[in-house]
Amino acid sequence: MIANSLFMYIAVAMILFSIGLLGVISRKNIFVIYMSIELMLNAINLIFVCLSNYHHDMGAQVMAMMVIAIAAAEAGVFLSLIVVLYRRKKSLDSDLFRTLSQKEAV
Amino acid sequence: MSAILAAIVLAPLLSSVLIGLLYMVSITKMPLSKRWFTIPALLSPLISFILGVSAFLYVAKYDVPLHFQPYLWLGVGEYKIYMGFLGDKLSLFMVLFITFVGWLIHLYATAYMSDDKGYGKFFFYFNLFLSSMLLLVLADGPLIMFIGWEGVGLCSYLLISFYFQDNSNVVAGNKAFIVNRVGDLGFLIGLAILFFYCSGVGFSYENIALTIASMPPYLLQIVGIALFIGAMGKSAQIPLYVWLPDAMAGPTPVSALIHAATMVTAGVYMVARFAFLYELIPNIGLFIAYIGALSALFAAVIATKQSDIKKILAYSTMSQLGYMFIAVGLGAYSSALFHVFTHAFFKALLFMGAGAVIIALHHEQNIFKMGKMRQVTPVVYATMLIATLAISGIPPFAGFFSKDEILLVAFSSGEYLIWGIALCSAVLTAYYMFRFFFVVFEGKNTSHVHHPHDVSWVMKAPLVVLAFGSLFAGLLGLPSLLGGSHLIGSWLGEWGMRALHVNHETEWMLLSLNIAVSLLGIGIAYKKFRFYDLSSHKEVKGIVYNKFYVDEVYDFLFVRSIRKLSEFIAVSLDVNLVDRIVMGLSHNFIRLGHILALVQNANVRFYALIMMLGISAASCYLILVIG
Amino acid sequence: MMDILFLLLSFFAILGAVGMVSFHQPVHSALSLILTIIALAGFFALLSASFLFMVQIIIYAGAILTLFIFIIMFLNVKEANLPKEPNKNMTLFLGAIALLPFNFLILQAFYKMPLLSAPLEKDFGKIKPLGMELFTQWLLPFELISILLLVALIGAVVFGRKEEA
Repeated sequence: MIANSLFMYIAVAMILFSIGLLGVISRKNIFVIYMSIELMLNAINLIFVCLSNYHHDMGAQVMAMMVIAIAAAEAGVFLSLIVVLYRRKKSLDSDLFRTLSQKEAV
Repeated sequence: MSAILAAIVLAPLLSSVLIGLLYMVSITKMPLSKRWFTIPALLSPLISFILGVSAFLYVAKYDVPLHFQPYLWLGVGEYKIYMGFLGDKLSLFMVLFITFVGWLIHLYATAYMSDDKGYGKFFFYFNLFLSSMLLLVLADGPLIMFIGWEGVGLCSYLLISFYFQDNSNVVAGNKAFIVNRVGDLGFLIGLAILFFYCSGVGFSYENIALTIASMPPYLLQIVGIALFIGAMGKSAQIPLYVWLPDAMAGPTPVSALIHAATMVTAGVYMVARFAFLYELIPNIGLFIAYIGALSALFAAVIATKQSDIKKILAYSTMSQLGYMFIAVGLGAYSSALFHVFTHAFFKALLFMGAGAVIIALHHEQNIFKMGKMRQVTPVVYATMLIATLAISGIPPFAGFFSKDEILLVAFSSGEYLIWGIALCSAVLTAYYMFRFFFVVFEGKNTSHVHHPHDVSWVMKAPLVVLAFGSLFAGLLGLPSLLGGSHLIGSWLGEWGMRALHVNHETEWMLLSLNIAVSLLGIGIAYKKFRFYDLSSHKEVKGIVYNKFYVDEVYDFLFVRSIRKLSEFIAVSLDVNLVDRIVMGLSHNFIRLGHILALVQNANVRFYALIMMLGISAASCYLILVIG
Repeated sequence: MMDILFLLLSFFAILGAVGMVSFHQPVHSALSLILTIIALAGFFALLSASFLFMVQIIIYAGAILTLFIFIIMFLNVKEANLPKEPNKNMTLFLGAIALLPFNFLILQAFYKMPLLSAPLEKDFGKIKPLGMELFTQWLLPFELISILLLVALIGAVVFGRKEEA
């Protein structure tokens, strides 16, 4: 049965992970970048839970919960950062933030 | 005992270093009196002479050559070259007259150069020269000889351009050095080929002589010619002679020592040293003899029309060197060396006498502005008469016996053309030498120069000593024909003459012929110049006076073309080709750097993209290679 | 039955993900992400992780993404503030091709693994065993995460301050 095969779950998780990675790279919008990161984390969570089912181990589910908690903390910090950056440049283009580069360094 | 050889070379070297240091002190800190320089300068040739005499007596007594190899100089893998000295009969014979005549000329120079500010510098160079010449002669292998060879070339350059304030002197010095260098190239090529083939056990003359038979004959000829090219440059034979007349720009003691008695004979010595090589290639020897003959004739012709006192003597040196090369070319090494020996005496005397006349007339050098010097400097007159008779080949003076022997060798080896050329040169030699003598010392009018004065005894004493030498040196080579035992010939036995295939009558005939032609030359000169009226002298400038325009031809052929080539390279080639490549390389490198720097554009997404590409590349690799 | 559920859930998850990456407006992307999150919660339920199923919906969809939408609206994002992304689709497509080997590599490892074996323990995935595990084995990480949350809270407040004029 499809639902019983580990492989299919992993396949779905990997597809979601790849889409998230593509989102980080292709999109310039900061919000979308962050949401892609969240998507990647979720895909990993799915893999964790799969494997916990496979190994009959609750530890992986605990781990997944930890990931959710960390994602929450990260969301808070990230979004306040976005607010700060938006106040600076009034734009949501991530390519504008380049002060690490030699030319833009003030 | 054999360490004495090193001492002979070291004495003038150390004294030259000492004089050099004292000179530096005298020009920077405080001026020193001339005595500081004179004493070491005069002492070292004397020490070398005394040591040379003792080495000579030792070798004469025990009949075994002196070897001295103090240390290993170059050891590369299996090639070992030792710094070595060889004191056999040939080299000690050379050492004797080099140090003796050299000492006399040093003495003369202390008076000649006494007014010069660079007195100390002069003796620094002079002693350095003597040391290099002694090293050249006492070397035990061609590489060590080459050190001395280069050293004498260097000192010749330094001394010719001694009066450096005048640019033409510096140009003459450059010319001497550069033409010498061309000869040195030939020498080095020969040396390299020899080294390649014969340096198995060590690079000394004996070792080379042992292995030389293994070389293919064409290569032996190449080596012979190449080494002779070096001799051409050093001893001013055609075509590398052009530096010698210009070298007269140096002070007269320099001309006397270097360009008469010693350095120019280095070529003859070298060919004599390589006798074991030249014996195997007699046709090269013939070539050498022809070059010598042609040089002798050519120089004699030019000398008949020169008016500068030192240039006449320079061309006469070249001519006499031609005689020596006739002899070595035909295998009669001891005859050549006999002529070297006698030539050292009378040529040094001639130059020093000319220097005395120049000083007496306040640096006038044109013979047609001199006259009746007999009254001003009688001692110089007498000694110069002896020297001129010697060079013209009048018995019993020195030059007669050595010149006669060379002509005899030429005749008896069947080379009648060479003999004829040499005979013509003998006529011309007598003619131009006595032309020079009569115009300077006799003639109708005295010189126009105000207050000509006699020279000091310090300058006259060496003249007198050398005059005795010119008188009696010939007796050392008295042939058996006239009842003597040929001392020099028997001393230089290994390099001795081949047996002469002429009978006594022919010898007598040739001898009288030589005397006759010399008297003919003197007679012509007497008629034209004995009572020469200087006021009726017209400056005739013809092709002979202009030295057959050889210098101009060389300038056109070589100097101009090389200069054009250099300009071409410097202006077009260097700028367009080399600069473009080199600077282009660095520019493009910087541009590449700028391009690569674009990767660091601080765009985090871009970095993430690169990372992703890296991951996919790595996974491709893992899939394909590892599976 | 389970298969159909699985296929449905995976369809919605992937649809939501693709939509999130493709939409121009951030609000649309956030809403697509919510769809994906809920589908993922469904996956957790399929895998007998009932507590996580609830946690996912409550915290992820209910708190984090709500915060997200709140911030988007708070900033009053207009069209002019959004970046122009002309090559978005092309980049996505090429990136997808570039990532194929990576996926292939990982999936190859899992390919031969056997089926999920049943039966599980009676209360696998329920809150009690989770709590037991959390407060015995994972006590230290638990405490550290609470500190982390505190730090994140402080950090967010610090960032959000009005700048000195």
